[in-house]
Amino acid sequence: MSDMNPALETFSQEVDELLTAMEEALLGLEATPDDSESINSIFRAMHTIKGSSGLFGFDDVVAFTHEAETVLDKVRSGERAIDAELVSVLLACKDHTAQIIQHAFFNEELPLPDELQQQGQALIVQLTGSSRAVGGMSTTQQEKIDHFEVDVNTTDSSDNWVISLAFETNALRNGMDPLSFIRYLQTLGKIVEVVITMPPLIRIENMDPESCYLNFKIVFNSSADKKTIEDVFEFAEDDCDITILPPNSRQEHYLQLLANLPEDQLKRLGEMLIEIGALTEKEVANILDEQLDENNADAKPLGEMLLEKNILQQPVIEQALKKQETVKQKINKESNYIRVDAAKLGYLINLVGELVISGAAMRLMVDKHGLSDVDDVASTMSHLVEDIRDTALQLRMVQIGETFTRFQRVVHDVSKELGKQIQLQITGGESELDKTVVEKINDPLTHLVRNSLDHGIETPAERLRAGKPEKGTIQLNAYHDSGRIVIQISDDGKGLDADKIVAKAIAKGLIKPDQALSRSEIYNLIFEPGLSTKEEASNLSGRGVGMDVVRRNIEALRGSVSVDSELGEGTVVTIHLPLTLAIIDGFMVEAQQERYIIPLSMVEECVEMSSDEWQIDEVQHYVNLRGQVLPYLRLGDFFHNHKKHSKTQRESLVVVRFGEAKAGFVVDELHGENQTVIKPLGKLFENLNGIGGATVLGSGDVALILDVQGLIQHAKKQIVR
Amino acid sequence: MTAKADKNDGILSLSIMDDMTIYTAESLKETLLGYCHPGTKELQLDLSAVAEMDSAGLQLLLLLKAEAQKRTFTLRLSGHSEAVLEVFELLKLGTYFGDPIVFPANWKKS
Amino acid sequence: MAKTILIVDDSASMRQVVGIALKGAGYEVIEACDGKDALSKMTGAKIHLIVSDINMPVMDGITFVKEVKQLDSYKFTPIIMLTTEMEDEKKRAAKEAGAKAWVTKPFQPPILLAAIAKLVLP
Repeated sequence: MSDMNPALETFSQEVDELLTAMEEALLGLEATPDDSESINSIFRAMHTIKGSSGLFGFDDVVAFTHEAETVLDKVRSGERAIDAELVSVLLACKDHTAQIIQHAFFNEELPLPDELQQQGQALIVQLTGSSRAVGGMSTTQQEKIDHFEVDVNTTDSSDNWVISLAFETNALRNGMDPLSFIRYLQTLGKIVEVVITMPPLIRIENMDPESCYLNFKIVFNSSADKKTIEDVFEFAEDDCDITILPPNSRQEHYLQLLANLPEDQLKRLGEMLIEIGALTEKEVANILDEQLDENNADAKPLGEMLLEKNILQQPVIEQALKKQETVKQKINKESNYIRVDAAKLGYLINLVGELVISGAAMRLMVDKHGLSDVDDVASTMSHLVEDIRDTALQLRMVQIGETFTRFQRVVHDVSKELGKQIQLQITGGESELDKTVVEKINDPLTHLVRNSLDHGIETPAERLRAGKPEKGTIQLNAYHDSGRIVIQISDDGKGLDADKIVAKAIAKGLIKPDQALSRSEIYNLIFEPGLSTKEEASNLSGRGVGMDVVRRNIEALRGSVSVDSELGEGTVVTIHLPLTLAIIDGFMVEAQQERYIIPLSMVEECVEMSSDEWQIDEVQHYVNLRGQVLPYLRLGDFFHNHKKHSKTQRESLVVVRFGEAKAGFVVDELHGENQTVIKPLGKLFENLNGIGGATVLGSGDVALILDVQGLIQHAKKQIVR
Repeated sequence: MTAKADKNDGILSLSIMDDMTIYTAESLKETLLGYCHPGTKELQLDLSAVAEMDSAGLQLLLLLKAEAQKRTFTLRLSGHSEAVLEVFELLKLGTYFGDPIVFPANWKKS
Repeated sequence: MAKTILIVDDSASMRQVVGIALKGAGYEVIEACDGKDALSKMTGAKIHLIVSDINMPVMDGITFVKEVKQLDSYKFTPIIMLTTEMEDEKKRAAKEAGAKAWVTKPFQPPILLAAIAKLVLP
C-alpha cells in the first residue's frame, strides 16, 4: 500500500480544493440561484470525492457523498429547486464530508464515531426527506469482481474447450479486436489450436479493410469454469456470436453434478444446466430469445438447439433430460399419495374392527334363527367386511425399504471408524408391514447391524488371511412368509464360536456342564441375559444393551428371533414379526365365566391342572411341572379376588412364556385359537393390571386380552412373597 | 510507406514500413492489391518494420495468401517483426503461411 | 512494445491511483484532466485504449468520446468509461457515442485492470 500514499496525499489536497470550490459555489448561489456552472461544480465535488473515496476504501465517505450526489443530480437536471434551505443543508454536508474524510485519513481502521454517524443520518434526512441506511453501498461492486481458480491437477492435455467466435462485420470499427480477446484468453489457460475461417466469397479486391470477416474456432485448455471463459468476451457480446463447448472431462463433472442435484422440485432443462455450470445464464437467455422469435416458426426444444449449436455435448443433455423425467415421475408419484392423520386412520381401523365384530354377531343371529333367505346376503356381506378389514389394515402398511436404507449411512460411518471395509446389500425392501411395527423394529435392527459391524465382520487384514474378499458384506433381507414378515440380518464375518458360547454359558450358570444342546440351541444362548462373546464392550454394541434386550423388544411386538451361524463363514439373525399389531392370533380361555385372550405366540403348552400329576404349592402358588418350578396365577382369582373360587371344575394350566420367563395361568375352559381384532381400552382402564386390551366377540361379549408380561411378573412376585 | 523493387521475371518484393492495423488497412489493401496482377509470379513481403498488427492487418495477410493461391503466385513472408511473430504465435499461423520464421534471439513467449 | 493507455479524469487522485495500477500491470500511461486536454495530448501520440470519466469540467466524457470517433487515427480505439451507477442514462449515451465498455465507480483497481486487459493486454 505504500505506493498509494502519494495518491492519498494528492487526494487530500484535491478534497480541500473541491470542498473550497463547493463552498464558494454554494455561497455564490445565494446571489445567482440558477447559475448552472456553480451547481455543476457542487455536483462535481461530491461526485469526485465519492469516486476517489471508493478507490481508497472509504466506504462511509462513499455512502454519504452518494446521497448528496443523488440530490445534486436532481438539482442539476431541474427536478429539484435549490433554495436557501437546501444551500444551508449542503453547506453542512460539505462540513460533514470534510469531517468524515479526516476521520478516514487518520483512523482508517476505526468505524465512524456515533456522533458523526448521527450527524450524517440527520443530514441525509434533511437532504432527501427520508432516512436511508448508510453503509451498504459498495456491495454491488463487490459482486463484479472476476474470479477464477486455476487448478493445475484438473488440466489434461487432451481435454479441451472448443470456443467458436463469429465476429460481426462491424466488430473492428467498434474497437473490438478479436486478437485482444484471444490474447486475454491465454491468461486463463493454453491455446492449443486456432482455426480461422473467412467467408468463401471474400477476396482482397472486394473486401472492406475495416470490416471483420474473421471467424475463430479455438481449442483451449483451461480449468477455468464456463462463466469465466464467457466473461473474457463480455465486451464483444454485441459484435460476436460466441459458443463455448466444454471439454469432455467437464462432461463427467457435469454428469456427476446432475446426479447429485436434489430431486425435490421440477426444474426446467435450462435451469438445471445453469445450476451445474454447464450453461451460463447468457447462453440460455440467448437460446430462449431465439425460440421465442416470431419468425422462427419451427422452434425446437432447448435440448435440440443446444446440440445443434454445439454448446453442450449430447450425453450431458440426455442425462439432464433423464434427470428431469425422473424428478417428474417422482413428483407425480408423490402427488398420488394423500397424507392422512394417523389418528383418523386409527379411528377408521377401529370402526372396521367393530364392523367385523358386528358382522360376526349377525352371522350368529342368522344361524341361530335359521333365516335361510338372509343367509346369502349375510355371507356376501361378511366377505365384503373381510375385504374392508384387509384393505383398512393395508392402509397402515409401509415398505420396510426406507428403514433398511437408513443403515447405509450407519454402515458407511461405522466401517470407516473401525477401519473395516463393509458394504450393505439390501433386498426385499418392498416388503410391507404395519407402520407401528416398522417404527418399533428400528432399535433392535440397529443393534443387530452394529453387532455385525463390530463383532461380525473382520478387519481387511484378517479377512485376507482367511481367504475372503477384503470387503465384508452385511445383508438386510425381508420377505413375507405365511402372514408374517421375516427380516434377516446376515454377514459374511467370522461367525459365532459355539465352544466359547457353551463355556461362557456354563460359567454364567445358564446351562449345566453335561447338558446336551443342539447347535441351534447353543447359538440362541446369545439371547440370554449376560452373555456376550466379546470380552470388552466396544463403543458401538454391547454396552449394557445386550442381545437379551433385542429379543425382549422383538417379543414385545409378538415376534421371535433366532440366530444361525457357521464359524468363519458368517452369521444370520432371523426375525419373525406379525404384519400388524391390530390383529393377533389369540388363544381364548375362560375363567369364572369370563373370557380372556392370550396371544398365541406366547402360549407354550396347555396341560390339565391336576394335583395328582404335578406338585402344586397352593400357598406360594407354584407348580412343579416335570421338574421345573413354575409360578402360576388363577386368572379367576386374580381378576375377581372378591369372589370365592369354587374348585368343582376341572381346571387347565396354560403355560405362557415371555422372553425366558414362564408362568402358568389356571383357567376353567380352553376355547382354542381365534383371530382377534385388538381394541384399545378406554382411558379409564389404561392402567389396569394384567390387561393389554380388549376385543369384542361375535356374540357381543367382551373378552380381555391379557398382558402376559405383566402377569408373569405378578406371578413371580407371589412366590417371593 | 512502402519500398518496392520490381523485377522483370515477375518476382516482386515489398517492404511494409508501417503498422498493419485498422488505421492503415485501407491504404495497405490498395498497395497489396496493386501487386496482385496477372504477371505476378512471386510476391515477397518483408514484415520486419511492422511495429503493430491487429485483426484488420492479419485479415489482409490472410486474404492476400488466399489471393495468391487463386492466382497461383507465391507469397513469401520474411523478416517477421516481433509484433507479427506475436500474432502468428498466438494463432499458430506459422505453418499456414509456410514461410521460414526467424525468431529473434531475445524472443520470449508471452 | 508496451501498450499505451490514456486516462481522462478531472480527479488527480483518481488518475494517480489508476496510473499506478496500470503502470504496475505494464502499460504506458498518459494522463489528461478533461476531454480537451486529452484531445490535445492524443495528437502525435500512439494510444491503444482510453479510460475516461464522464463528468468533467471543460469537456465532458460524452463529448470527448464523440470527438475521438471523428479522429481518423483514433476512431477505432476502444474506450472504457468510468461512470457512477446512478447514470444509466449517461451509460446509454456513452455507448451510443461509441464507448465500448464501462466500469462503475467507485471501483477497485483489479476490476478496471481486468476490463482493460480483455481489450488490450500490456
